Amino acid sequence: MNNRDRVSPDDNGHRTEAQNEAQSQEQKLQTMISALWERSRHTVVERAALLRTAGDLLGDNSLDQATQQRAVDSAHKLAGVLGTFGLPRGTDLAREAEVLFGQSTPLGRDEIERLQLLLAELTRLIDRGPLGPA
Amino acid sequence: MDRTKYHWDGMEPVLPVFSTALIFMTHRILIIDDEDDIRQVAAMSLETVAGWDVLLAGSGKQGIERASSEQPDAILLDVMMPEMDGPTTLLKLKANGSTSHIPVLLLTAKVHGPDQRKFAEMGVAAILFKPFDPLTLARQISAALGWKEGG
Repeated sequence: MNNRDRVSPDDNGHRTEAQNEAQSQEQKLQTMISALWERSRHTVVERAALLRTAGDLLGDNSLDQATQQRAVDSAHKLAGVLGTFGLPRGTDLAREAEVLFGQSTPLGRDEIERLQLLLAELTRLIDRGPLGPA
Repeated sequence: MDRTKYHWDGMEPVLPVFSTALIFMTHRILIIDDEDDIRQVAAMSLETVAGWDVLLAGSGKQGIERASSEQPDAILLDVMMPEMDGPTTLLKLKANGSTSHIPVLLLTAKVHGPDQRKFAEMGVAAILFKPFDPLTLARQISAALGWKEGG
């Protein structure tokens, strides 16, 4: 999560000691979260890969129920964690994927295309990571 | 009783030395979540920002055992977990005389209204939503439980 702008100077443009310490705290937490992201990345990548596989199977009309449920669960987990790691767009995409994979009725061609597009974007976001270039 | 503060492998120990940590009263929080990354980021958040003691459990069963033996001030409980999910864990905590008094905050990525009403009827103190902001999680918990900061 990018917190660089959270601690603002006071009305006179001066930073108080408390603000400096708060920024130090934010930076330290950010460093820790970034390191944790690197440690957790493989799990996130695996979940995104599962979603892409499920999306491909869906496109081939060959998605079985067990894989569909794993896709719903993986999307749910991604939705819950990506924003915390500074990828709020990833949370939005994963939530949308969770809804689409969780549909009880077959998806239409447009919905499948939308799903595959959002999964491609999700993959790019995860590959880039929270601190990558915009 | 394991009062060892949660430390993160490969990182320097987390010490609540920051000024904002001093405005929080000390509390002990039990985090029950099957997701390792969520447990870790929540723990480092609460320890770094608020200076709280954090206990961890990776399942509902383990969480009930730790809650009973360690008597935390509050429990942060994930909803979607394998084997014993959050609502089932909550019911068991509330049915157990040694844990029924401990406030439970549900942590969920689900945002549906009916679920929220159901959880409220089950006696949760509050519902917090994933993804959470590590910088404000402690404040959210304090606000939900009426804990005064700076006491």
